[in-house]
Amino acid sequence: MAAELSLRDVRQVRGGREVLRVDNLAVEPGEHVSVLGPNGAGKTTLLRLLAAVDSPHSGEVTVEGVSTSRGGVALRRQVAYATQRPGLLSTSVLRNVELPLRWRKVPRRHRRELAMVALERLRVADLADRPARGLSGGQQQRVSLARALAIDPAVLLLDEPAAGLDAESRAAFFADLEHALAGRATTVVQVSHRAEEASRMADRVVVLVDGCVRQVGTPELLTRRPADASVAALVGYDNLVDAHVEADGTVLVGRMPTGLTCGGLAGPATVAVFANGVRLLGNDEPGLPVRINRVSPDRGRQAVAVEGVLTLLAHLPIDVPSPRIGDLARVVFDPALSAVLPKAGADSTGVRRTGDDVPRTGEKLRAVGG
Amino acid sequence: MVEPLYEVLARSAFVSVSATLVASLIGIPLGTALALARVPGRSLLTAVVNTGMAVPTVVVGLAVAMVLWRSGPLGDLGLIYTVRGMIIAQVLVATPLITGITMAALQLLPPELPDQLRGLGANRRQLVVRMWIEARLPLLAAAMAGFGHAISEVGSSTIVGGNIHGHTQVMTTAIVENVGRGEFGVAIFYGVILLGLAFFVNGLLVSVQRRGLSWQRS
Repeated sequence: MAAELSLRDVRQVRGGREVLRVDNLAVEPGEHVSVLGPNGAGKTTLLRLLAAVDSPHSGEVTVEGVSTSRGGVALRRQVAYATQRPGLLSTSVLRNVELPLRWRKVPRRHRRELAMVALERLRVADLADRPARGLSGGQQQRVSLARALAIDPAVLLLDEPAAGLDAESRAAFFADLEHALAGRATTVVQVSHRAEEASRMADRVVVLVDGCVRQVGTPELLTRRPADASVAALVGYDNLVDAHVEADGTVLVGRMPTGLTCGGLAGPATVAVFANGVRLLGNDEPGLPVRINRVSPDRGRQAVAVEGVLTLLAHLPIDVPSPRIGDLARVVFDPALSAVLPKAGADSTGVRRTGDDVPRTGEKLRAVGG
Repeated sequence: MVEPLYEVLARSAFVSVSATLVASLIGIPLGTALALARVPGRSLLTAVVNTGMAVPTVVVGLAVAMVLWRSGPLGDLGLIYTVRGMIIAQVLVATPLITGITMAALQLLPPELPDQLRGLGANRRQLVVRMWIEARLPLLAAAMAGFGHAISEVGSSTIVGGNIHGHTQVMTTAIVENVGRGEFGVAIFYGVILLGLAFFVNGLLVSVQRRGLSWQRS
């Protein structure tokens, strides 16, 4: 069972300040949507509205066509909301997982079975009799998730489900989450400030910045064509550089060539470049003049910090000779790993993926907020 | 006629236990509402509760006596100089304390807990009951503190009860009376008994708390 979610003309105000504004956002039944944004972007506020924990200041939030403001407990019981901190009760793990089933008047024997199945799916069935508050952070997150899944909700809302876990535990947690959700038709909305976690299971990603939806799209679309610099930074572009696009489409940084061209976006722009899209060339080649500032190994590659007209991070394969600190070099950007974005506040015509064969003059990027 | 000690002790316990029960029935829901609900005037009510915790019991006694006095607004009920009148006074003494501790206890629970419980489908009653269960040890402490405050107070019991032998005399008023008469030995004896009662109640509280904490840690 899955449910459709929608937000229409939603405004949420806290302390007299508007903290969330969503004109139109719909989540299809069974869809996995991630909400990506920095801290304070309004992600949790959005999730609380979907969970019917809060009512919107204006506008309407619906679950399966029923307004959360009018749905009451019956509506909330279609939804399972796991808060960022696990919020486990000071009782055993098993009783924690059984509690929402008890509230739904599931007979004792059946709820014990359902609770154990949920704990097994999250690989924590052996902890069933342990006091929940005594578990490690990772175990608590798993129990919290098992508690939410045990009721077989139509909608599962996860607020930073791996918050507080180290990188290794996060990877294992998300693997178990995928395993637990496999074969379920549940509609899932997950909040995260990490692009890799937001993209991992998502059919679509909603990017929230300053309470506004900046872009909605598949993880691939967001990576290839971020709507603006804030989206680019969130989806993992390592370098954001002020640039200028000439009338002929040449992209310059500090009047120097970058190796990029872009049609239909003349004027001030921002160039977003992944670190592995920064090409280091000899000092006699055309490009941006820089000086090698720092070289360090970084997870199977070399991280190279360069300074010149701008500061950049470059990634080089581990098996190429390391550049020497202090050497002069030139830098150009790999069109396949760069995007030219409209400068904030500029009269832009949209985002351009550089180096694409097909010019997109006049094409408007599908933005945001539906 | 000197009343047997056990009768005074039993009356003290009856008055204070009754007052504690009634004060808990008022104070715990009120403290819960102040801690969890977004009600208008919440700040004002919180300030009233906090002030109430510091009001001298003799002032409470004076106020209750004025209301229950034969010519007072509730004088027709005939509660002045009765055990029931003393219970009313002690309820007013204990309620702010129980309310304040309840409020603090619930506010000290993990802040995400109410939202998490709502998000898992708890209705209002289920939410409140679960919050009380989570805060069971501090809530027990609140009731015990209310009881301790009630059984040890002398001001309101003297004014409202009148310290009438065989009717409204309780341990604290008996101590004051014996000191007034220069019977220090009797007063000290009563004091030791009262101290023993307080020690017993506190021991009970510590024992229950330790049991609860050891389960949570295990």
